[in-house]
Amino acid sequence: MSAGFLTVAAGGPPARSPLAEGSHRGAELEERDGWMVVASYGDAEGESRARREAVGWADLSHLPKAELSGAGTWIGSPAEGLATPRGDGWSCPLTPRRALLVGDTGAPPEGATLDLTSSLGAISIVGPEARETIARFCALDTRAAVMPPFGFRPGSIARTPGYLLRAGEEAFLLIFGAAYGAYMWEVVADAGSRLGGRPVGAAALTPALPAPRQEVTTDA
Amino acid sequence: MSRLAATPGERIDRSRPLGFSFDGKPVTGYEGDTIVSALYADGRRVFSRSFKYHRPRGELCGCGQCANSLVDVDGSPGVRACGEPARAGMTVTHLNAWPSLEHDVMSATDRFGGRFTQVGFYYKTFIRPRRLWPVYEKVLRRAAGLGRLRERQDEREWETEYRRRHCDVLVIGGGVAGLAAAVRAAELGADVVLCDEDVEPGGALLFEGGQERARELADQARAAGVEVLTRAAAIGTFDDLVPVVQGSVLHQVRAARTIVAAGAIQQPLVFGDNDLPGIMLSGGARRLGALYGVAPGKAAVVATVDDRGLDDALALVAMGVEVRAVADLRPEVPGGPAARLREAGVEVLGGLTPVRGHGRRALEAVTVARPRGGGERRIDCDLLAVSAGAAPALSLALQGGARAAYDGARAAFRLTDLPAGMFAAGAAAGFDDRESAERSGLLAGAEAAASLGRHHPRLREEQVRLGGERPEPLVATPPAWAGEGGKAFVDLDEDVTVKDVKQAVAEGFESLELSKRYTTVTMGPSQGRFSQLPSARLIAAETGLDLETVGLTTARPPWTSVPLGVLAGRPFEAAKRSPVHARHRELGASVRWAGDWMRAYDYGDAEAETRAVHEAAGIIDVSTLGKLIVRGPEAGELLDRLYPNRISNLAPGRIRYGVLLTDAARITDDGTICRLDEETFYVTTTSSGAGAVEQWFTWWLADWGLDATVTDVTQGLAAINVAGPRVREVLARVTDLDVGKEAFPYLDAKQAKVGGVECLLLRIGFVGELGYEIHCAGAHGQALWDALADAGAELGVRPFGLEPQRVLRLEKQHIIVGQDTDSESTPYVAAMPWIVKLDKEQEFIGRWALEQRRGEAPPLELVGFRCADGKVPAEGSVVLGDDGTPAGEVTSARFSAKVDAVIGMARVPNELAADGARISISDGGQRIEAVVTKEPFFDPEGEVLRG
Amino acid sequence: MSFLLTCPHCGVREVTDFGYGGEVTKRPTGSPDRRELNTYNYFRRNVAGVQREWWYHRSGCRAWFIAERDTTTNEVHKTEAVG
Repeated sequence: MSAGFLTVAAGGPPARSPLAEGSHRGAELEERDGWMVVASYGDAEGESRARREAVGWADLSHLPKAELSGAGTWIGSPAEGLATPRGDGWSCPLTPRRALLVGDTGAPPEGATLDLTSSLGAISIVGPEARETIARFCALDTRAAVMPPFGFRPGSIARTPGYLLRAGEEAFLLIFGAAYGAYMWEVVADAGSRLGGRPVGAAALTPALPAPRQEVTTDA
Repeated sequence: MSRLAATPGERIDRSRPLGFSFDGKPVTGYEGDTIVSALYADGRRVFSRSFKYHRPRGELCGCGQCANSLVDVDGSPGVRACGEPARAGMTVTHLNAWPSLEHDVMSATDRFGGRFTQVGFYYKTFIRPRRLWPVYEKVLRRAAGLGRLRERQDEREWETEYRRRHCDVLVIGGGVAGLAAAVRAAELGADVVLCDEDVEPGGALLFEGGQERARELADQARAAGVEVLTRAAAIGTFDDLVPVVQGSVLHQVRAARTIVAAGAIQQPLVFGDNDLPGIMLSGGARRLGALYGVAPGKAAVVATVDDRGLDDALALVAMGVEVRAVADLRPEVPGGPAARLREAGVEVLGGLTPVRGHGRRALEAVTVARPRGGGERRIDCDLLAVSAGAAPALSLALQGGARAAYDGARAAFRLTDLPAGMFAAGAAAGFDDRESAERSGLLAGAEAAASLGRHHPRLREEQVRLGGERPEPLVATPPAWAGEGGKAFVDLDEDVTVKDVKQAVAEGFESLELSKRYTTVTMGPSQGRFSQLPSARLIAAETGLDLETVGLTTARPPWTSVPLGVLAGRPFEAAKRSPVHARHRELGASVRWAGDWMRAYDYGDAEAETRAVHEAAGIIDVSTLGKLIVRGPEAGELLDRLYPNRISNLAPGRIRYGVLLTDAARITDDGTICRLDEETFYVTTTSSGAGAVEQWFTWWLADWGLDATVTDVTQGLAAINVAGPRVREVLARVTDLDVGKEAFPYLDAKQAKVGGVECLLLRIGFVGELGYEIHCAGAHGQALWDALADAGAELGVRPFGLEPQRVLRLEKQHIIVGQDTDSESTPYVAAMPWIVKLDKEQEFIGRWALEQRRGEAPPLELVGFRCADGKVPAEGSVVLGDDGTPAGEVTSARFSAKVDAVIGMARVPNELAADGARISISDGGQRIEAVVTKEPFFDPEGEVLRG
Repeated sequence: MSFLLTCPHCGVREVTDFGYGGEVTKRPTGSPDRRELNTYNYFRRNVAGVQREWWYHRSGCRAWFIAERDTTTNEVHKTEAVG
């Protein structure tokens, strides 16, 4: 018997984001890899514009997340504060013996993994006002000189323990305890909407969150 | 509305008039005015009544620093009218006078108060008779305070934004020194933030004819990438954090280096009736004219101790004010400005200082004289412009750990011993005049940048140059006070007079810190800006100590008044919610806080919910339970050392109950441990204990260095408990798993699909009825809940909340750690000696303390009880001992319909911990009789639970 | 109190991100008598000066580490990872 009950099972009822109380409001949903995912909030163009010109935020809680523990090359060194691209995801070092895997990394060559997809919520924050939005609820230093793209920081996010991953110049991923999902969505929406932003669906988001394998480019 | 001729530096836009109201009367001003400048132009001179004596007060500083013009704007009291920009349509009212500013009945305290208003009068007067204090308090509360807060505000009326800003260099103060520092540091590549309280940076340059230089520097700063925050006040230094308030935004600035360039605050003089409207700081008078085109008076006398006052006198002459005399405390008034004044026909009187103001409602004349008497002269005037030297604004630096030393030549304190990472420029560093202040700014900027590895090529050269060029200003030290008669105020905010401070010293409050607390001097809204130096001087004079020894007090944050709304933050509460939370709301649950979580207390009918569990079945969301995965080759060893019972011999698929102990054998948490496979354990904890247990496990793991990993998956898993006689019928509809007694015995765990969802089923029962705790990925939690609810609907299954659960578990005498146990409870006290396995080979946490207590009767023991008369004792009620004294405590009590009695648990003295013992409970004086019942009230043999 | 603390894994963070575990003590071995056990359980050296102490990076990597902090100034001289 393993801890299989931790994992969202294929073939079961569609999985629901821990942010759904907030993020599914007014959303057009579609099923993707067993999860109900926000396709758009009915205005893909406006959403695109918001994240290009101000800031957009999207519920990405369905991104696979796992803890990798033990030894191994995938864990890397936490001292540099950088995530390492692995497959279509990142390996984010926490300690010399533990890392957080985010996205479709594929199976690590060594070490033991534990699925944390359901344990952690995720919000992507994208756009020229992304840093300012994050500064409204998070004290981590996100200046590019300190935290360049691929920078990874465990830290306090809106007074709860979480992680911040910089996917690109203007693209960040907040990762936090799933039980705080509704709260976190409210906090991000409050901060972002004051800066001219809006929630966005997957359609408006995709070009902004560079897959790690691609070249990281500055957002227009 | 009368204004001076327009000047290039003025801030008002005469093409854009605006209207607002003051005490119900319409006022017209211009865009760019402050409330005070518009009212001044309108001829008004009195803006408030003083705190204690209700004396009329006029403008003092003209720049938002003093407390003389506190008003209420649109329902918000405590606004400084001399710094607050006038806005069209605003409603401004005075604060501290009734029925009106002109006629204030409380001003009787000024004329007749006498011995009732002496220093310390609260403590001396209102202590006898003690029983009258509530009456005194009512009267005093009405009389004291400035302004009234509305009792209710509209929801989210105050919208605060917090903004964290990391930077290399924070420059506090945007005068010439601060601007120069910011420009230099930014040009060397540093990331710089500059904050200034005024609507534009420039400081004194803006009203002393340097506005072009100010704008040039500001442009340079912005071009170099400096983030310039205006109307932004740094309110304190908290180690590495400087909060900067800008309207409704609170910038939390963390800078690697801080440059304090907060300038200097012109000081008032202390003499009889020095608070009359019309007596103001010369810089304030000059600002009114230069920035707002308002004549500060018609006929003026200027009183000064330094050249700044002479410059200001010249400026007054230039704006057309008739300056009737300048009283300069320096016997020999030197050089240029004095000569120019004389050329302009102004009489400059050396060696004189004001000794008495005259006038009933406002200044009508002033008497000047030699400070120790003689040479008296009375001069009619409606403006007395005062310059008693400049006190550098050091508080923010002092809060950060700097020290201040008295500089006799400048009659002012200046910063010494700056803490690492802090630099000073301008007046704070002792550079008062414009040129040296600018150079000191450039140097501080270069030094701050250099300390960050960004070097200026000629840093050394500049250091040398500046060091050699500190000009020594010629300043006379103002007297601690001058003249006799009238009230001589040391502190206008708090109405503290020379007499009060003298009396405090005479009563033994000789130190500045003590006399501050006794007289409240410097404790008013202006944070001692205008009273700290005068009160220190006065104490020095009274005690015979020098000023260096008397020292300064450090003003506490906030250095500038902050609306409470700014500190209160955004109205979001970091609540944890279960994945099923939305359903509970739809079902009409009453949702309440339980620790960090929002939980369903009941669904409207706790008693019916309890009954449903006994008669059919109930489902309860227990997703809040702490859940840990402990894995690795030494996971079993780790748990053996953490629990007093044996864990490593647990077979995969089996469950055991466990309590966690400290090394003093006190119970800190409880839960179940389920072995999933050889190297993987699934541990549950109490809902509130998850975080603490994770910390506890990882702490010992770090110390012992075992090969195991602990991962908190609390928030990743939903958990739903289904319990009741019909539970197997419910489950049969949603799972293929055989949940029968033989296939799935008590304390077994199995994985299977329930309602299509991959689940872990634990056969345990907190509520006592036959039950299964079903855990699954949180993302499927709502689906699992729905499947169980739908399957059970026809069978009479109901959702039940926390309250029914509490009744049900009490029927079984299942404890809640933290409620039925306290920080003293060992397993022996908690009546679970069976859980302690002292024959275990591991030295588990708590073992030694348990060994030392083995065989001893615990002083208290947790027992169940049943009340005879139907009264429910409050939790925390006292259990009385034989002699009627408190001997124990009720930990839980409820009415149980199933048992048809009030039941509970209590910690009672050992001698009462016997089945059938009678105990007396005192609940707030009410006596309740109860009988100890050590067996569970429901299913004492556990046949139902195991069935 | 808002000093900064350097987590050996994550770097500099505000102190509010951490949990304090108290001074580093030595757990007895063998079978301590009551006095030894009580000393271990209840007594602390409480030094005014540099102290070795446990910290837990609660809002971070969730690892325990040891810091050497001056209790009179909150200056943290060094931090080191454990295990």
